[in-house]
Amino acid sequence: MRYGTYLVPAAIVLTLGSLACKPPKTAEEIKAETQAAFNEGYQAFKDGKARDTNPYVNAKDAKENQHKVTGWYEGWDKAKADKDAADKAAAEKAAADEAARKAAAEKAAAEEAARKAAEAEKAAAFQKAAEAALKTIHFDFDKSDIKENDRALLQGIADFMKAYPAAKVEIEGHCDERGTNEYNLALGNRRAAAALAYLKTLGVDEARFTTISYGKEKPLCTEAKEACWSQNRRGEFKLK
Amino acid sequence: MPRFFIRTFLCALVALTALALQAQQTEVVLSASSSAKLVLGMTPPKASGIEDSLVATEFTAVLKRDLDETGVFAVLQERLPADGAPVKAWKEAGAQWLLNVRLTKGAAGDLQLEASALDTGAEKAVFTKPYKADRMVPLRRMAHALADDLVARLTGERGVASSRVVFVRQTAPGVKELFQIDRDGANLVQLTRHGSLTLSPTVAADGRLAYVTYKGGAPEIWGQRRRDGAHEKLYPATGSGAMVSSPAWSPDGRRLAFVQGDRRGNSDIMVLDLDTGRARRLTDGNGINTEPSWNPNGTQIAFTSDREGGPQVFLMQDDGSNLRRLTGEGLYNASPAWSPNGAMIAYVSRFEGKFDLFIYKLGEGKAYQITTGVSTSESPAWSPDERRLVFTSNRFGSMQIFTTDLSGRQVVRMTELAGCQSPKWTRAR
Repeated sequence: MRYGTYLVPAAIVLTLGSLACKPPKTAEEIKAETQAAFNEGYQAFKDGKARDTNPYVNAKDAKENQHKVTGWYEGWDKAKADKDAADKAAAEKAAADEAARKAAAEKAAAEEAARKAAEAEKAAAFQKAAEAALKTIHFDFDKSDIKENDRALLQGIADFMKAYPAAKVEIEGHCDERGTNEYNLALGNRRAAAALAYLKTLGVDEARFTTISYGKEKPLCTEAKEACWSQNRRGEFKLK
Repeated sequence: MPRFFIRTFLCALVALTALALQAQQTEVVLSASSSAKLVLGMTPPKASGIEDSLVATEFTAVLKRDLDETGVFAVLQERLPADGAPVKAWKEAGAQWLLNVRLTKGAAGDLQLEASALDTGAEKAVFTKPYKADRMVPLRRMAHALADDLVARLTGERGVASSRVVFVRQTAPGVKELFQIDRDGANLVQLTRHGSLTLSPTVAADGRLAYVTYKGGAPEIWGQRRRDGAHEKLYPATGSGAMVSSPAWSPDGRRLAFVQGDRRGNSDIMVLDLDTGRARRLTDGNGINTEPSWNPNGTQIAFTSDREGGPQVFLMQDDGSNLRRLTGEGLYNASPAWSPNGAMIAYVSRFEGKFDLFIYKLGEGKAYQITTGVSTSESPAWSPDERRLVFTSNRFGSMQIFTTDLSGRQVVRMTELAGCQSPKWTRAR
């Protein structure tokens, strides 16, 4: 029963198929047919009825377009030669263009690399100069006066700002942990403002600075002693 | 089924925190029992449907601590009469009031609390109140509500056991966020997630927050325009990059006093009208002016100014007129906080490198020192009932939050979290 699923339809297909197909010709039949065709042609030749024209070429073509009869056309040689020449010229031109393009791209890449290198060098120099110049200054307790020692540092910052006219800097004011959070935010603002005012006197445009106060919210050091507090009472300068 | 698990988990959790709290209480309550307090006897609560151990840790202990910190009740702790003793026995033990509590958990998960207090002298009821919750609310919340009502019965003003404290805490270097905690130190909740410096919270009478955050680089004032609304930028409307700090809601919640710095180093008190969006400068660009604090009817502002040298507390009208100096002694007086009833101003004064809390009584024109000792005490804020101050102190190492009564004798630690600052005490959250 299980095989019936496949065998029964297969049997039906084979039976119907064999009925629908003609039986193959035997060798005898093929030989007889071939002989009959030959005889027919031979008889036609003997009767003078054999064809002497190409049934696929009409009379006009036979006269004017000989190549259709002979299977060749002399114009083709020229056309082919022309085409080959054109192809070759085009290929040469393309190769030349490609070479030129490559050369240009290489040149551009080299220029870009050089420019980038120069830029990186310039940026590195800028960073280095910034790092060297933007030193942290310090303040006394509850004071915002610029200390004598820090004047040289601020002069360095002013020189840096003049050497790099595009540089913009944020001045951060910080305080130690003594004092209220809010008062220290105001004090940090005053310290940033004091640094800004001093830089202005050194001839730097104050529009190139922004100020921000962090009060006592971002200490560098968290121990309750003067060595720590004095580090925290500071003005920092950050590139913006 | 999941509800059951959640409840079990919550119970375990609150039981643990309660245990921790109890331990903390015995550690830091420096209370001296005062004869002015009403002595309250408490019979053990009768509970049905709730485990006795849960009631003991989550209700009885919480209620006792709440009442102890009211400053008007003293809970009878020793020589307690036996269970079922007559009222007379409680009277002989010293109790002036006797509190009876019955807790019932209904079949539907509802919770009932019946509380009654008896005057042991006259043997008549002085307080009866039923509490109902349609679900199993934390028992400690019911304890807080009962404590507040008992205080109301005795003093005429509700207690503050149900109140909360909003404060700033460092979560990572350079990152500070706002947090909120129940008045008894339970239920720590983080309120902001700006991932930046977030400072100076102020809570309006209806619970709306305002604060300063550096999330955009320069400081900005953020807060809620509507109760329970989203936190949004309130000032400046367009980026100005100036220093802003110290926002303070006016008592009616429609204006916001704050501080704006200029590039010459001055900082001035400004008032922002939330309806019009207009900000008005009240001080005159003369040095540092900061830490504005409104009086209760919103007509005057106390603030810190260094216009005469060091920082001192000044007062002015809310239009900037009638400026006068309040504090006399000391070289560094700051952080004024006007009391809810308007008669006192708490502030800090610097002495020998650390701060102590002071209260200036406006009626007497005199200042009283509250805290003493070698540690610093800063950022005072008033309790809503004006009986206590919340402040920060490093007396246990890092800056943590404490409360003190106005005598300075009963100092209680509120948090065991390091790096806390700027607490604000509110009933509205």
